[in-house]
Amino acid sequence: MPSLKSGEQPGNAHSEEPPFATVIASGGRQLLAAVNPAAEAQGLRAGMPLADALSFLPGLITRPVELVEDAGALHRLAEWCGRYSPWTAPDGVDGIKIEITGSAHLWGGEAALAADLSQRLNRQGIAHRLAIADTLGAAWALARFAVTEAAEAANPVGCKFPVKTANLTAAAIIISTGEMRAALAPLPVAALRLDPALVEGLHRVGLRRVGEVLAMPRDALARRFGDMVARRLDQALDLLPEPLSPLGETPSWRMRLSFVEPIADPADLARAAERLTLDLAARLAREGMGARRLDLGFYRVDGRVEHIRIGTARPSRDPAHLAKLLIGKLDTVDPGLGVEDAILAAFAVETLGPEQIGMTGAAGAIGDTAPLFDRLGARLGLDALARLEPRASHIPERASVAVAVGGTDKGQCRPPPQPSPVPTGEGARRRRGEESGAMPTPQKPPRPVRLFQPPEPVEAFWVLPDDPPFRFAWRRRTHRGAQADGPERIAEEWWQPDGELVGAEGCPGAIRDYYRVEDEAGRRFWLFRAGLPGDPPPRWFVHGIFA
Amino acid sequence: MSPAASLVTLRDRIRRIERPNARRHGVLPFGVDAMDNALPGGGLALGGLHEILGAGADEEDCAAAAGFAAGIAARLPADSLQKQGDQAGVVLWVLKRGDLYGPGLAEHGLDPARIVLARARRDDDILWALEEGLRTPHSPGGIAAVIGEVGRVPMVAGRRLQLAAERSGITAFLLRRWQSGGEAAAERERPSAAVTRWRIAALPSLPPSVADYEPGIGTPRWRVELLRCRGGEAAAWDLEVADATGALSLSAALADRPAAPRRPVAEPQIWRAAG
Repeated sequence: MPSLKSGEQPGNAHSEEPPFATVIASGGRQLLAAVNPAAEAQGLRAGMPLADALSFLPGLITRPVELVEDAGALHRLAEWCGRYSPWTAPDGVDGIKIEITGSAHLWGGEAALAADLSQRLNRQGIAHRLAIADTLGAAWALARFAVTEAAEAANPVGCKFPVKTANLTAAAIIISTGEMRAALAPLPVAALRLDPALVEGLHRVGLRRVGEVLAMPRDALARRFGDMVARRLDQALDLLPEPLSPLGETPSWRMRLSFVEPIADPADLARAAERLTLDLAARLAREGMGARRLDLGFYRVDGRVEHIRIGTARPSRDPAHLAKLLIGKLDTVDPGLGVEDAILAAFAVETLGPEQIGMTGAAGAIGDTAPLFDRLGARLGLDALARLEPRASHIPERASVAVAVGGTDKGQCRPPPQPSPVPTGEGARRRRGEESGAMPTPQKPPRPVRLFQPPEPVEAFWVLPDDPPFRFAWRRRTHRGAQADGPERIAEEWWQPDGELVGAEGCPGAIRDYYRVEDEAGRRFWLFRAGLPGDPPPRWFVHGIFA
Repeated sequence: MSPAASLVTLRDRIRRIERPNARRHGVLPFGVDAMDNALPGGGLALGGLHEILGAGADEEDCAAAAGFAAGIAARLPADSLQKQGDQAGVVLWVLKRGDLYGPGLAEHGLDPARIVLARARRDDDILWALEEGLRTPHSPGGIAAVIGEVGRVPMVAGRRLQLAAERSGITAFLLRRWQSGGEAAAERERPSAAVTRWRIAALPSLPPSVADYEPGIGTPRWRVELLRCRGGEAAAWDLEVADATGALSLSAALADRPAAPRRPVAEPQIWRAAG
């Protein structure tokens, strides 16, 4: 709504404040996007052409609208409203919707909640209008179009609460279930959240008030205007459900801590984090659950929210451990002028059975490395932790993949890896002694300790098409081959549709011939030739180094 | 007390003063007499910090050093009491470049399923992660060893790691991996708080059998140099690389003949391996 659009401009009606308006270009004309109370008192309205406004008020101060910044500010404000309920979202360009069902009692009722919100918004210099109603539609309409003495005093900004009650306070318009029809009836039809075209159509047939539309037979309305009008009516009157999609993910549990005086000292913030984790842990223990992801939000006085997000490798409800993870990240929090509320939200909650406690009473299961991984993950990022898991593939880089340390048993060891892929190269087969009979049991072909991903190209020299290189240059160093094994042929997995081997462009069949080459110094390299000998000439790569 | 008995007690006391952690956490024998005799206590000190260097061009990749460390980690924890069932314990491997290859490590005895990789961008983070790993209680199925691939190790950081390892009894390995020759030159000779410092270099392999000479790479070998050892002398051995159980063995051929440097092959046909 208007005053929020003017963003930085405080909306409070200071009499000494000069008339001010933001301007938006629309269809080649300059229109007023929003006006402050002083300008409104002079008869200016949003949507008025700038030229007209200046003729009324030559001294009007104007500024272009900053749509992106406004949207950002609204988003931040919606996030800040999370202190009242987890379900908040920006609504259009000038409103915020908050679902307070089930959380109003924490503030001592809807009126008290609205009063608190209104007071804090005023302190931040944000003009606002609040409405609480059973439905989103009704609250939307009342916040924008209802005219009461209270609303006259405050400036209009849409902030509305789809919830019931029958009080009219100074802070908000609060409409109970029974009053809804009566409250909506005198409002203009635009209050039904309709397209301007639909509103105009309703006007054309003489329907100007919501009450008049309500009185019309539904089928006639639907014939003339489609089902939109009827649907909006039903949504406003709670005959049709209307879900609210919240700004962020909805947490499973939330713990809130409010401070009488804003706090800014890091030690205080740390204590708050400890208190909240203690509360959360108690709750989780009662429910037999453990948290995988936590978000600690510090709600600052100036309407911003600072977040700390942590993840754990396995569900946890150890308050000391969780608090340590959170406090470890406290240095990323800027408390600004002070923090009024701290809210700890637990996402991704999983069942976690009762824990075995050691004989000495020390917490932590035997061999439990999860706390360590959490600490490492908190600093390095959880995706920095990985396990090497074998895969049934004969492509070397696919045979062992790094899998992020996830929710599965951390302290346990997996079954031993699958047998290594079998080489298909004829030479390798022969080397394994299937012809000579020297080695009756087939051996796995050796694999390097280091595998470069992607393979590093080398400049190689060889004599016969099937030969390994007798000399190759790799990393600005020339190596002379002294001995070599191979080839071990590894071809593309034809059943994999999207697998294109590296270095195989222009080489039909995507074939690699691997050689183990030992240089004069004794270092053993795993080289491969991409493609078959011929034209274009095959290319060589170092894929790994043996220990 | 008889003079002999008091001598034993005295020796014990001196040893405790000299190497407190070797007494407390025991040693891991290499199973190679020549090596174990050179190491105080008869093996690699557990619950200590060990530095492993690459050699020559391998300082950049530390492939041989990684194989050596894997072979040792494969046999940790040494205490059979600490092995419960299949829980051999986790090996925390902290590195910058994710080029460690599981199947290759398995050939030196280390089951890749035991490894947890942690990637960090800076040396400081790697050292921090190692220290965190060393601070976990040493328990069955817990951390068996920590291995870090790190370039620069300030003296203080090394000392902290050594103390943390002594306290928890977890054995720590630093693979010194240098990105450039300049960094290597600056760091190579720097003193450290580690119990031992090793250098592992790949040696030219021996042909599989001297009798019927087959072309190709034979038994791969390492030159294992003990550069520095608290309470011990520097030494070097030529060994066969750690096998699938992580065990080392003296290069057999050494007994018969000198390890002559392999003649660079003039005619490329010689290495037509088996193809």
